Amino acid sequence: MAMASVKPSIRQFSACLGCVRRTASGNGAPRRLLSSSAAAREELQTHHPTPPPPPPPAAATSAPMKDEASSKRTPEYMQKWGDLDPNLVEWKRDERRLVRREGVQPVGSRRRRAVLRRSTMRQTEQIPFEQLPYQCFQEARKFLLEDRQEKLTEIETQTLRIKNLMAQDPAVSGGALAKEARLRSMRNHLHGLIILADINDPVVKKKFEDGQGDMNKPIYRYLADQKWRKYKRLVLEQRISQLNIVPDLLPALDPIADADLAFGRKKVSPGEFVDSAISEKMPRLSVQTFEQGEKLVTVVVVDADVPVPDKDSFTYRCHFIASNVPISPSQTSIPLQRIDQEDKKTENEAARKIAVPWLPPWAHKGAPYHRLAVFVLEQSEAKALDVLDIKKTKRNSFILRSFVDSHKLKPIGVALFRTKWDESMAGVMERAGLKDQVDVEFKRKRVEPLPYKRRTERMR
Amino acid sequence: MLLPRIFAPVRASSVNASISIVSSSRVLDAFRAANASTSPSLSFIRHATHQAQGRANGAKDGPGKRLGAKKSGGEYVIPGNIIFRQRGTAWFPGENCKFGRDHCIFATESGYVRYYRDPFKHPKRQYIGVALQKDETLPYPRNAARKRRLNMVAVERDAEPDTVEGQIVVADLQVGDGTGSETSVRATPRDKPERNLVMGKGYAYREANWQIGRAAERANVRVQEFVPGDRWAAWRKSQARKSANAERKRLRTSQKAAKPKAKKR
Repeated sequence: MAMASVKPSIRQFSACLGCVRRTASGNGAPRRLLSSSAAAREELQTHHPTPPPPPPPAAATSAPMKDEASSKRTPEYMQKWGDLDPNLVEWKRDERRLVRREGVQPVGSRRRRAVLRRSTMRQTEQIPFEQLPYQCFQEARKFLLEDRQEKLTEIETQTLRIKNLMAQDPAVSGGALAKEARLRSMRNHLHGLIILADINDPVVKKKFEDGQGDMNKPIYRYLADQKWRKYKRLVLEQRISQLNIVPDLLPALDPIADADLAFGRKKVSPGEFVDSAISEKMPRLSVQTFEQGEKLVTVVVVDADVPVPDKDSFTYRCHFIASNVPISPSQTSIPLQRIDQEDKKTENEAARKIAVPWLPPWAHKGAPYHRLAVFVLEQSEAKALDVLDIKKTKRNSFILRSFVDSHKLKPIGVALFRTKWDESMAGVMERAGLKDQVDVEFKRKRVEPLPYKRRTERMR
Repeated sequence: MLLPRIFAPVRASSVNASISIVSSSRVLDAFRAANASTSPSLSFIRHATHQAQGRANGAKDGPGKRLGAKKSGGEYVIPGNIIFRQRGTAWFPGENCKFGRDHCIFATESGYVRYYRDPFKHPKRQYIGVALQKDETLPYPRNAARKRRLNMVAVERDAEPDTVEGQIVVADLQVGDGTGSETSVRATPRDKPERNLVMGKGYAYREANWQIGRAAERANVRVQEFVPGDRWAAWRKSQARKSANAERKRLRTSQKAAKPKAKKR
């Protein structure tokens, strides 16, 4: 709950907001305190023994205190914007201001926020979600709960079965391999049951749509995966095939993690052209995995179109390698700049993560565009790689296939961008120590026409 | 045309049978008898019901369109060479080839022509490709990196064209003849009629289009580049236009307001 972290003084109200609403509204306290986040109301459904409502004077005193604390950080013109609640902001302008001042995204749809805001303004009574007085709704809920109970009993039996099988002697169950295969299929079935138990829960759906889902729980991971596969992954797949990443850099690629690339605040959609001035600094990478557990990954940035005029062909260049970066479903961010700073602090060279430092993407004037691919490669069994060994890799004519094979890596995600000569490229290249390459321009080679053939008698 | 001759025997028989009125059946009998006696071969005639000559049945054999292979397998081609001419898509472009606008297949790289099938790409299609090396076969292995040619040479970079001293930059915002000087774009071509004129399409002597396009360059005038998505410039431009319109309207209304006053007097 981001809201709670921003305003710690209202945390105590989240226990029983219905009570607070009634008392506080009568008291004429600021509107912000009457608000209730969706998460808070769900807590209310689960925890029945509610603590007594806190005295309203405390609320009145806590509000100015919070304002004082925030005034130290936020400039004056931002304070004039007043209170902005992520659950209640209705106007586009207010949403923008909320993101700018508090750094919090508004929750849910604008329509819902508008409704919530109206109801708080009118001080209508808030009925808990489960007690909504619609007969059909209640019947449906009953039906879904029954189904969930069924699934829960099935989960119990399945776990018991798995436990029994694990205790069984492999000779009885037809060999160790057969036992393993059977266990795997049983676990898959169990995983499916766990998903099915929660998938019809409206609260789960709402939490997921509000972006408040806990990625450590299988149901939210499943929903996030489905959402990713419906649009973002399709686009990525298309770009991978259009830009020929798959035969050129790797023989095959099946992305299973959502990798987002951004240079500073500039987000990069797959295959976008990035200005050289923007890509001079290291990007931010956020990798969302949909599988349980922590992984160690290696991040590799490769340029697939380095021209070689002598051979009249292209080669590859490695721009960056960082190894042993931990990610998990709830820990998605890979801030390369911060990793770099931490690396500079660490004395031990083997403990550092960045093996090959960032070389800004560059292209000669007139040369065809360069495709740059940021690969997220999973290290096998989450074992750490030897950074000193990786440090020896050469930047020029870097072959990703052999790198992946030799270090037993598995590509799980990729982000793409392109670069070409632009106005700021000369400066970028100079700063990267490539001054001799600035004055090289590529021009099309003249195609020699075929020699004129006299039409002979035989040709006629 | 033939009718008079055919009916000649009938006429003769009817004449023979005097002027007496006979029943229709007897007329037919007489007709048959007369026919049989005079010409046994022409018992029945069939008229032409369908035009036989001219373009009635459609042209059966027009001029040949010279379709087919222009380059055979293994032949050396350079970019732009047409390898195959066809109606429809009997052949598809494979490696280093493209479709022309009439489905002809032409090379995009210099190399050696190959006719082949690629079941992984499409199970039923036949492809024409260009292999870069003489000993290579197509299709290339499916998961191998593509073989590509740079087709470029590295030369020393040209200096970027800077703004020349004394060059007039016509801003996007200015409406009409922005410069207001004798070097304005519109004025220049008229001042110099001695440009080499060529006969245009309308049989009139005029400057070539490329020369007209260079008028600004000759006059040392540069138009500011249009930047798509530059909302600040767009806003300024629209404001300028609006204020100009408002000014014009104000002038118009003041004129109108002035007139009735004059009449009243």
